[in-house]
Amino acid sequence: MSDKKFLGGKNSNAYIVFYSSVMVIIVAILLAFTSLSLKERQNANVLNEKKDAIVASLGLEKGSYDSVIEAYVVNKEGEVINTENTPLDKLFALAASYAAGEYPVFENKATGEFVFPVIGKGLWNDIWGYVALESDLNTIKGVIFDHAGETPGLGAEIATPKYQAQFPGKTIYEDGKFVGIEIVKGGAPEGDVHSVDAVTGGTKTSEGLENMIKDCLSCYDAFIMSRTAVPFYLVETENAE
Amino acid sequence: MKNKTFQSLTNPLAKNNPVLVQILGICSALAVTTQLKPALVMGLSVVAVCAFSNLVLSLLRNGIPDRIRIIVQLVVIAALVTIVNDVLKAFVYDVSKQLSVYVGLIITNCIIMGRVEAFALSNKPLPSLLDGIGNGLGYGAVLVIIGFVRELFGNGTLFGYQVVPECLYEAGYVNNGLMLFPPAALIIVGIIIWVHRTANKDLQEK
Repeated sequence: MSDKKFLGGKNSNAYIVFYSSVMVIIVAILLAFTSLSLKERQNANVLNEKKDAIVASLGLEKGSYDSVIEAYVVNKEGEVINTENTPLDKLFALAASYAAGEYPVFENKATGEFVFPVIGKGLWNDIWGYVALESDLNTIKGVIFDHAGETPGLGAEIATPKYQAQFPGKTIYEDGKFVGIEIVKGGAPEGDVHSVDAVTGGTKTSEGLENMIKDCLSCYDAFIMSRTAVPFYLVETENAE
Repeated sequence: MKNKTFQSLTNPLAKNNPVLVQILGICSALAVTTQLKPALVMGLSVVAVCAFSNLVLSLLRNGIPDRIRIIVQLVVIAALVTIVNDVLKAFVYDVSKQLSVYVGLIITNCIIMGRVEAFALSNKPLPSLLDGIGNGLGYGAVLVIIGFVRELFGNGTLFGYQVVPECLYEAGYVNNGLMLFPPAALIIVGIIIWVHRTANKDLQEK
């Protein structure tokens, strides 16, 4: 029986340093292994969520993305360009994609409706979403917004169906000029087609939302112009007042 | 001995329930119980974390330096929770989104550290594992009961399926909106504790 204990016993400093080092290395390896082996499945789930959000903005059922959507990337001039990543991949780094002048477009082939992904800054963190336009490329068909860290009950209300229900029917062009959607604090004027109510108690988030819609959709201006063969503002619509 | 080992599994289920008697883990019990499915998944996650943290730390108990005991416990629990979170994200993505931060917050759930400190560090691996499972199940059972009541009366559904028949709604029945708010969970916990204490007279203070 030797009375020499390993590194001077359980409560010596040397033992504690040794013990914690080994523990940290083992835990790190374990976590890295778990994370790497599950990464693929997790990414597939996130991708599916994005696909579902795109079709949800069009009011279609979950899972219908692959059968109805054609996706491509356009540049500032509205020309379809070839890029290294697919349009869906671009959604994972949308801000960078915007900065590079590459704008993903999701088109519903059957109806001629379009979905444009948007991204911006809320009060605390990123906000993003999908804006679906009718085939006239002017009227909003539906929107989906989400956020990373807005205040629950205040700014986070932008992600609720109730808030998003204000958007369908609004238009983003006025006499052929891009105007976007104004988010009005205290309530949008009745019957105004270019504005919606702000979020109560979420002023900064509302401003972020307005800027996001303006900044992002204006990038598609040339593309929208090129796709509306007969400019919609010259077409007499039945509900024009 | 055999009997005592078995008791470490059954005791936290009834007589010594961590939520009902020790009033631990109330925070997440309020937050994730608006529907049955997240409540069930949360319960299972806590069972897994509680069982394995008890087992691992019981196996390590003779080598852990006393001075960094709590840190070691936290590292083991945090690692387990991270793994559980990754697994949920990979296999039940929608539920993991609903549970959001509460899975990460299992780390701070008093039940888990409480059981490690009070039981696993001074007991053999097998009873520790059973104690962990028992306490996790005790917590999960309460969550499921609350989730059941809240989803049934708040939404008229169970696991997302409509169970309150349409004809009842036509006869004027409405879902109780209060059930979907956190106070409803507190009220239900209170009622469960009342029933539990009535059944177990020795728990009542004089």
